[in-house]
Amino acid sequence: MRVAFPMDGSRWLSGEALVRLVALLAALALLVVGLLFPLASMLVKSLQDRAGDFVGLANFARYVQTPALMGSIVNSLTVALISTALVVGLAFLCAYGITRTCMPGKRLFRMLAVLPILAPSLLPAISLVYLFGNQGWFREALLGQSIYGPIGIVLGMCFWIFPHALMILTTALSTSDARLYEAAEALGTPKWRGFLTITLPGARYGLISCAFVVFTLAITDFGVPKIIGGQFSVLATDVYRQVVGQQNFQMGAVVSVILLLPALASFVVDRWIQRRQVAQLSARAVPWRPTPSPLRDWTFALLCYAVGAAILLVIGTAIYASLVQFWPYDLSLTLEHYAFEMLAGGGWASWFNSLKLAFSVALIGTLVIFFNAWLIEKSDGYRVLRQGLHFLAMLPMAVPGMVLGLAYIFFFNQAGNPLNWLYGTLAILVLNTLVHFYTVCHLTSVTALKQLDPEFEAVGASLKVPFWVTFRRVTLPVSLPAVLDISVYLFVNAMTTVSAVVFLYTSDTRLASVAVMHLDEAGYFASAAAMAVLIFFTSLAVKLAQAALSHLLLNRAQEWRQAG
Amino acid sequence: MPTLTAPLSPAAGTDRAAVAEAGLHLEIRGLTKRFGPFTALGGVDLAIREGEFVCFLGPSGCGKTTLLRAIAGLAPQSAGRIVQRGRDISRLPPQARDFGIVFQSYALFPNLTVFDNVAYGLRNRRDDRGRIRERVAELLALVDLAGSEAKYPAALSGGQQQRVALARALATEPGLLLLDEPLSALDARVRVHLRGQIKALQARLGVTTIMVTHDQEEALAMADRIVVMNHGTIEQVGTPAEIYRQPASAFVAEFIGSMNFLEVRPDGAHALRLGRRRLDCPAHDCAGDEHARLAIRPEAVKLCAMNEGLSARVEHIEFLGAFLRVGLTLAETGQALVADIAVRDAEALGLAPGASLGVLLPSEALRLYPGREARA
Repeated sequence: MRVAFPMDGSRWLSGEALVRLVALLAALALLVVGLLFPLASMLVKSLQDRAGDFVGLANFARYVQTPALMGSIVNSLTVALISTALVVGLAFLCAYGITRTCMPGKRLFRMLAVLPILAPSLLPAISLVYLFGNQGWFREALLGQSIYGPIGIVLGMCFWIFPHALMILTTALSTSDARLYEAAEALGTPKWRGFLTITLPGARYGLISCAFVVFTLAITDFGVPKIIGGQFSVLATDVYRQVVGQQNFQMGAVVSVILLLPALASFVVDRWIQRRQVAQLSARAVPWRPTPSPLRDWTFALLCYAVGAAILLVIGTAIYASLVQFWPYDLSLTLEHYAFEMLAGGGWASWFNSLKLAFSVALIGTLVIFFNAWLIEKSDGYRVLRQGLHFLAMLPMAVPGMVLGLAYIFFFNQAGNPLNWLYGTLAILVLNTLVHFYTVCHLTSVTALKQLDPEFEAVGASLKVPFWVTFRRVTLPVSLPAVLDISVYLFVNAMTTVSAVVFLYTSDTRLASVAVMHLDEAGYFASAAAMAVLIFFTSLAVKLAQAALSHLLLNRAQEWRQAG
Repeated sequence: MPTLTAPLSPAAGTDRAAVAEAGLHLEIRGLTKRFGPFTALGGVDLAIREGEFVCFLGPSGCGKTTLLRAIAGLAPQSAGRIVQRGRDISRLPPQARDFGIVFQSYALFPNLTVFDNVAYGLRNRRDDRGRIRERVAELLALVDLAGSEAKYPAALSGGQQQRVALARALATEPGLLLLDEPLSALDARVRVHLRGQIKALQARLGVTTIMVTHDQEEALAMADRIVVMNHGTIEQVGTPAEIYRQPASAFVAEFIGSMNFLEVRPDGAHALRLGRRRLDCPAHDCAGDEHARLAIRPEAVKLCAMNEGLSARVEHIEFLGAFLRVGLTLAETGQALVADIAVRDAEALGLAPGASLGVLLPSEALRLYPGREARA
């Protein structure tokens, strides 16, 4: 057939379709090798005994019969539920203050509220030990209770998870339609009734989604309970203890499967909600603007500032503790805790390794994830393949870091796996981190791509321009703000994550976040704080650089973005 | 093709002659597009001549955009053939087909200047920079935007953006220009202006053009031929005058312009009964039917003194500037009828609500369609 039409088009065209198919298959291969196969080998492992023979559910039976392990389930649920209630409540009030009042200093508060994300979850735990521990300044405030245990875990979680909740709820509450409130007012509705019948239902899906995100983060976090959990064991620390402490990989796999369940459940619920949440806000909605009301504004301002102060206190404590000679007896300042070389944890090399990892993940991950999202979103044909890819891209959100890290051991460390050479390299850490944080980047990309005119690709095709040229010349530049967001998100997470990589580093590829944990284990508390602070400032610097860069780019792009 | 229940003008015969004369640009055979159980296009046959301006007209969901996207290769058909200048393009992807396209949303690349937008398809052909610059200047002059090269799309008005999109689509000198509701995002005044401009440009360049629209006025004003579509099939193909004067089906009659429908009983092949009155009408093939629908345009209805025609009562009068729209009820059958009357004639008749007068239905303006009125 093709021979009959010797137009230049038909030849490279089959090439173009082929390139597209190959790219889609490559994306599939990435997620299958980086996610599905490891998870599958973990499931298999949980059904085997130490010798590798199939034993059915025997491991699970043994798990249920071990009270120490079963107790962790109750512990995890308790801590996660309390944290969820506290964080969602507090974040809702603060988000309400930001979106629905005229409180002063909103920008400052929003900046303060992002800070916890830039630190590893180990940092708040370390600070809490300094504040409320045996030598802590505020030890008395706990009325004889120990900070090591559920109280510390809940407080640490709240600090670390708060920004996530605040972001979701601020978004949910900022979509308001002034016309509804005007209609209510015209009908003589009291304010509290307006809140119950308009504000809350409008933020309903945001609230539910927020609760599930917070719950998942709380039940799967490893850093906080590792540092401050004491004898109070939770599922995430159990996985670590079984694998690293007792070399019991089978039981580690069993606990992982159990840890996977709540995360999977909340993932399913979240997806279900997202599907029900069709645009509540029509394009014609008029955004609601708050009018000043001194009492309300200052009440919310005080609350938000109190939260901001608590965040600063926690971070400040870590910084201060890393700089004093010997807390709390000799408070003279010193930099000697930053001389990591003599101590456990690999020294400054681990920080450089973290930098290498973070830059690699940010660069490779951003390009790969955005391009894949584009393939999924803007190709026609291969519908089943694209839907499958979208599902796989959503899945990492439901897989806790501990589980993914352990699954990587099982899969890549198998004798006979052709990818075995990856094991113990920086590359496996890059792959693992990329997959671990895939979902949020994918969703950000999809949102950005959906805002583009759906006909860009059609125009390119009609002008006989290959799709990759249109991607490079139009799609990528237009989506640059989102692309920058993704790269910084990946950078910060690669810098701060502990849970997945704790199983995968070697002495050559030790990371800063892992070093914090080891320094803490070895009793070098001030140096652990110092390393955590170092991570925090590295993330902060990159975040600020991004802000400056976006500002610059937006200024340059001002011409075409906001002209007219 | 639907059966024509009323005679066609001799123009239908010249159709085939003209095709032979100018040569076919596009030939569509049995084109079908299904989305799951839904049939968006049901076996469409269509021939488009070289240099012709054709409008696909119909209500939303009638399949006109689907047909356009199938021609472009953007949404390949489920079955059927498309032949462009003798080349079977049915299975080719858009890149291998020869067309330029303009979308309702313009789809200009926001981060590229007007120059880069227009030159987008030229660069790919590896023309040298001097020639590209010349060609872009020429195209921008063509759409009255000379000197706008360095501007970004966001700095232009909607009408200007649409003209840039047009220049971009024409840049590579495609054999076929596809316009997908190009004017519907613009406000009324700009729309009328741009309408004339596009039509003049098309006539000057002689490029075969297909435009999709739901605006009948636009189609009547611009097209050489109109393809009226409904429910994924073609209801009628014809010149604007044919479509307006001899609508081939009740759907076309109702969709284009305004139309009165009266329920009547056919009486032989050349007459009908409206109530007890027997009226002559052009030959029709509803002769054997019990019921039929009589169609007549409001401007064809004539009013006269009481004793001359069918007696009717004036219900209400709307003043529409150049003419009056008179709502009437026929005395004998109680059926409603609308007539458009020049202001001068109305004064002569002493038209007022409640007045009784006579109505004439000129037989050459009558058309008959089978079936009864579908009651909503």
